Amino acid sequence: MSRRVGRRDFLRAGVAAGALALLPRGAPAAEPLVVATFPGTWNEAHRDVLAPYFRKKTGADVIQTIMLATDQVAKLEAAHGKPPFDVAIMDEGPLLDAVKAGVLEKYPVEKSPNYKDLVPAFQDPWGPKISLQVIGIGFNPKKIKERPKSWNDLFNPAYKGRVGLTALNSTLGMAFMVDLAKTRGGGESDIEPAFKALKELLPSVGAISANLGAHAALFQQEQIDIAPYNFNFVQTLKEKGVDIDFATLDTGIPAWRTSLHVVKNAVQPDLAVQYIDAHISPEVQEDMERSPYWVIPTNRKVPLKGEIVKQVAKSQDDLAKLKYQDWVKINQHRSEWIERFNRDIKL
Amino acid sequence: MTAAPAADGPEWRLLLPLGAFFVLFFAAPLIVLLLVSLSDGLALNAFSLTHYARFLSDSFSLSILVDTLALGAKATAVCLLFGLPVAWVCVHASPRLRSLLLFLVILPILTSVVVRTFAWIVILGQQGILNKTFLSLGLIDAPLRLLFSEVGVVMVLAQVQMPLMVLPLITTLQRIDPNLADASRALGAGHWRTFRRVILPLWLPGLVAGCILVFAACTTAFVTQTLIGGARLVYMPLYIYQQAAGANNWPFAAAMSVLLMISVLLVVYLLNLCGRSRWATRHG
Repeated sequence: MSRRVGRRDFLRAGVAAGALALLPRGAPAAEPLVVATFPGTWNEAHRDVLAPYFRKKTGADVIQTIMLATDQVAKLEAAHGKPPFDVAIMDEGPLLDAVKAGVLEKYPVEKSPNYKDLVPAFQDPWGPKISLQVIGIGFNPKKIKERPKSWNDLFNPAYKGRVGLTALNSTLGMAFMVDLAKTRGGGESDIEPAFKALKELLPSVGAISANLGAHAALFQQEQIDIAPYNFNFVQTLKEKGVDIDFATLDTGIPAWRTSLHVVKNAVQPDLAVQYIDAHISPEVQEDMERSPYWVIPTNRKVPLKGEIVKQVAKSQDDLAKLKYQDWVKINQHRSEWIERFNRDIKL
Repeated sequence: MTAAPAADGPEWRLLLPLGAFFVLFFAAPLIVLLLVSLSDGLALNAFSLTHYARFLSDSFSLSILVDTLALGAKATAVCLLFGLPVAWVCVHASPRLRSLLLFLVILPILTSVVVRTFAWIVILGQQGILNKTFLSLGLIDAPLRLLFSEVGVVMVLAQVQMPLMVLPLITTLQRIDPNLADASRALGAGHWRTFRRVILPLWLPGLVAGCILVFAACTTAFVTQTLIGGARLVYMPLYIYQQAAGANNWPFAAAMSVLLMISVLLVVYLLNLCGRSRWATRHG
């Protein structure tokens, strides 16, 4: 109690504490790897399966930052070469944006022993495809007795007011519109049929979620009974006790690939590669292919199982043949379509 | 004790840390925002007013701005309607009841806005608490559409922002000398006339302060607007986000941010003006 803190000490300590908080992120040895992950099941799978495996293997720590792909591209672009994270996670559309914006590093294949076990469709010079998202129709089996078969079922007058959609800023929304166009004579270069169908569908629509997180709440709160949805999100909700089932489409199963990337000027580029390689390792992929994650594995050494085999595909080679979309073409019009969709749906 | 003018003594230096903080983290980003809104990209070259022109000449964009300001006005009105009686009761209650009421008023601030908003989803949904209660009471035949409706957004905003209205109301009402009301009544004015001619003018600064806070908070409440409103009710914050992150159109998003800021400041200025002028005419 004898030593009093003088005014100058106090000021110095205060200034030091303030300055510390403002210091930019450096790269001392103990600096953890910062990785981006998607909200929802993805961040749980990464936190509970991938991060522990990576920690055990490298001794390095991982910090997650939860962000949509479009937000990641925006942040990386705004950061001007001082990226706030080392590993990015992308869907096909935003990936093209990221490459165009020059915020990613080419993936050093030679440093990634598991890369060769991916089917060619899941290899990419910018970074391996770690999984894929399959879309179809999520529906409440208690309310909808007849299993949906195609997007046409959304137009069934019996479901008026119970149909859900999601805004086009998510890949699900965009992929749905493109596939809707394809089933009605259009496609990536001709979206018109989809917008025409949307006009027809709107009176039946009960809710349109502004983002994917809110999409789950629509089913949980029984605000809607039928909506385009991702295969693995439906499985997760089902296991949480929500009345929901997944139906694949007769018109072909649309899918897109999700990939991990080393960010340009990453603080921890080597750890980033090890983290990504861990994600495509048979151990991690096998561990993620289970309740409650149901992440579809892309490594040939991991057998497909459960609902995936029943509804989607028997092997990775089958997965490679799903109905993928041409995101180079989609990206040319993406912002225009988002804008148009928002205008068409506004109340 | 006479306070020396701040500029004469060394005291003004106490403002330096906050001043520096403001310049660095508030003024500087604002200038960057303004520059981006005038440029054709993040590289900041080729300045022009095209983004402002595009917004102001587009009826869809303008309708979003109008909707946003109207939303703020509606939520502020609801806050005022419910806040005035609460503040009145709070001030005139016994000390113990008053602290309980104050605690209840502040309670909403103590939980995260995201958590509160999700709780409202459970309350407002088709199978939510409200609809189930109304249905079982036989008040309605089919579930009301509360979630993803403007009524729902106004309700939730009013609850979430209520403390911002009630707290300034309470502090100003407390400072009004109770003798004034007694004097007014002794001179023959009834309760209503006393309230209208004596209390209300004195209460006006608190009222205006509350309205300003609630209005500014409601027009920019991204989380509540998006989660309760859904994608079909577009307000400026969501629209700005869509343009920036979704469409990667930073300059347009920046221009919209500047326009939203100007419109909100304009409303705040008008509110302030109306508070002051009445104050001045009656008590100047």
